[in-house]
Amino acid sequence: MKNSISLKKDLISSIERPRRAIQNPFEEFKTFSVTKSEIPLDQIVQSAEAVMDQIRWGYEKLLEEEAKELVWMVQYNTIIKAYEVAEKYIREIDYSAEDIEDFCFALENTQKIPYLIPGPAGVYISALCNYVKEEEISLRLSELKTEINLIGFRLPKGKRLMVDGDTGDFTGIGLEGGELVVEGNAKNWTGAGMRSGKILVKKNIGLHTGEWMMGGEIYVGGRVRGLGNIVEGKVYERDKLVYPGKVRHPNLYY
Amino acid sequence: MNKNGYQKQVMGIYQFINDNLYFNRPDIEIKGERYNSAILLSLLTALQKGKELIIGEPGLGKTTSAEFVCSMIYQLPLGVIWGSEVSGHPEQTEEKIIGRPDLGKLNRGEEDVVWTNFSQIPVKIVDEINRLPETKQSMILDGVDRGNWEYLNEMIINEEYCLFATANYQDGGTNTIIAPLVDRFDVMVESRYPGANLSFLIGKARRKDRLLRHPKLERDLHRVLKSKITYEKKIQKIEEICNAFGEYVDEELGVKPLQRQDREQIRTEMEALDLDLDANAFTRMLLAELSFCERYGQKRVVETCEEGCHYTGYLCHEIKNCASNRLPTSIKLYAQGLAWLLEDSEIDIEHIKAVVPYTLAHRIQWKDEILSQKERAKRDDPFPIYLSKEVVKAISQRYREQSEHLKDALAIGSKIFQGETLEPLEGDHPLYVEIKKDIHGRQV
Repeated sequence: MKNSISLKKDLISSIERPRRAIQNPFEEFKTFSVTKSEIPLDQIVQSAEAVMDQIRWGYEKLLEEEAKELVWMVQYNTIIKAYEVAEKYIREIDYSAEDIEDFCFALENTQKIPYLIPGPAGVYISALCNYVKEEEISLRLSELKTEINLIGFRLPKGKRLMVDGDTGDFTGIGLEGGELVVEGNAKNWTGAGMRSGKILVKKNIGLHTGEWMMGGEIYVGGRVRGLGNIVEGKVYERDKLVYPGKVRHPNLYY
Repeated sequence: MNKNGYQKQVMGIYQFINDNLYFNRPDIEIKGERYNSAILLSLLTALQKGKELIIGEPGLGKTTSAEFVCSMIYQLPLGVIWGSEVSGHPEQTEEKIIGRPDLGKLNRGEEDVVWTNFSQIPVKIVDEINRLPETKQSMILDGVDRGNWEYLNEMIINEEYCLFATANYQDGGTNTIIAPLVDRFDVMVESRYPGANLSFLIGKARRKDRLLRHPKLERDLHRVLKSKITYEKKIQKIEEICNAFGEYVDEELGVKPLQRQDREQIRTEMEALDLDLDANAFTRMLLAELSFCERYGQKRVVETCEEGCHYTGYLCHEIKNCASNRLPTSIKLYAQGLAWLLEDSEIDIEHIKAVVPYTLAHRIQWKDEILSQKERAKRDDPFPIYLSKEVVKAISQRYREQSEHLKDALAIGSKIFQGETLEPLEGDHPLYVEIKKDIHGRQV
């Protein structure tokens, strides 16, 4: 009887033995000392969030200084002043073109930014575009519910800003030699006061197009609803020159 | 690393073939030096007892490159290699490849086998393997895999052998090489067009194969191969004649072929080389991407990926089949050979990156959409090798980003295996999931 029990034990232990001797498939890394590092994705996310915090802070400061009552009137002076305030904060931020796009989405989709006012937001985004290191900036705004005004304000020479989606009023005003491409529609006062450069609107454009523009070209892929008082420059509608032209008169709508 | 001059001797053989026998451009760069892939990989195949598939257009030196390399590494005159080659054609039979009954003895009621030269000598070249019908390709599976050749009730086992097979691109007379046979090849390489100028030189330098001929020794070798002595004794006698041919080549051409003990010593030295941690982790990363499937547990050729899978950006989403266990063996075998040849003390990531495209090209089955996306890409390599080089680029990029974290994950895996209570590291790559699976397998 005893013998049969000990035989069983031997049998069990011989079955168990290989299980204990299971091979370590990571044996070669036994002596590798583990570093307490974060995975690259975490670092990227963290640094992106830090930049976004700075951008957001700049925008909030702009609102504090320029839209105290949450009301902002579009006037020549208010735009210039808002732009100067935006410049002051943006100069200190190290950001990329991607961060601008993230900010555009954050404007609508995050609780961290209390309010989106299309005017100051547009001035701020324009300043971000004008000061970013990259020469080409692409903003996918087609999913935004709000059309941002003043996009492309003072876009300097050598910069190319491409907007996927529609833009609001005052698109590309005061353009300073840059190239602004809008893949959708643009509203009224587009290109007002622009000095040089090119605005390309793939779809339709609103009233007062090119009001007081001093130079440059506006190309419209769709229809121009109305031209403004143009001093100098060219406006094309579907490849056809509409200003200067004998048919068109300033302030006449189609 | 022993400083016995074997590396210089092998590089001397490479240079001799490159300068006198097989004219072609260098097409791979390893650690700043440029080499011709067909000669380099054939040398490693012959040294490491490997199996190589050489593809290319007709007449571009697929078979001759293998013949020259084998002649120099195994000290065999070309006449003997020619007499032992098997050509792939639809009427090929087991009797011509492996052996046939001794008809004289059969008449006397005795059963004996007359082995073919192909089955006996260490150098095995199958010309145009894809002209063998698919049913007949399986005849050479066992011999190719293990070096054992069976006929009637007899068997010979090749202790030392290497295999070279050539294949044309698909045309009317070709068949596909069956998957189990393809997988048995360690590497696939292309014998390329050398360019108009070198091709012109080849046209001028006719009969260069005479350099490696020796009719008398060839007759002696044929006599031994036909003799009725035991296979072991034959091998000894063959070696003696081969040594004589080696001395002849050394005297006449100034390049010293390798004797059997040289080859054995070289293999011992190669086998002693191991992968450093980066090469190790990189290879694991590659294998994980080539075998992982989150939904079905592993890649299977009969199952297709789910749409919207988290791992869409990885190779597992672009391929149909699973990497076989022969793949890491081939990678290590050729990386060992390369590291040894370059006189490095360890296999590093550069050695791995250099050999992976050639070990992978014939083994991956890409999804049709990937093939149609990439087939028109500008490239110098044949499509499968080009795709494999792209694989190496993609994995290298991911490895650069994740190497430290990946090594940490593997180190923690090791610590958990040793009994420490730790949590496996998380990360965005199939390998992290594989590590967890191994740890879970241990804990259950």
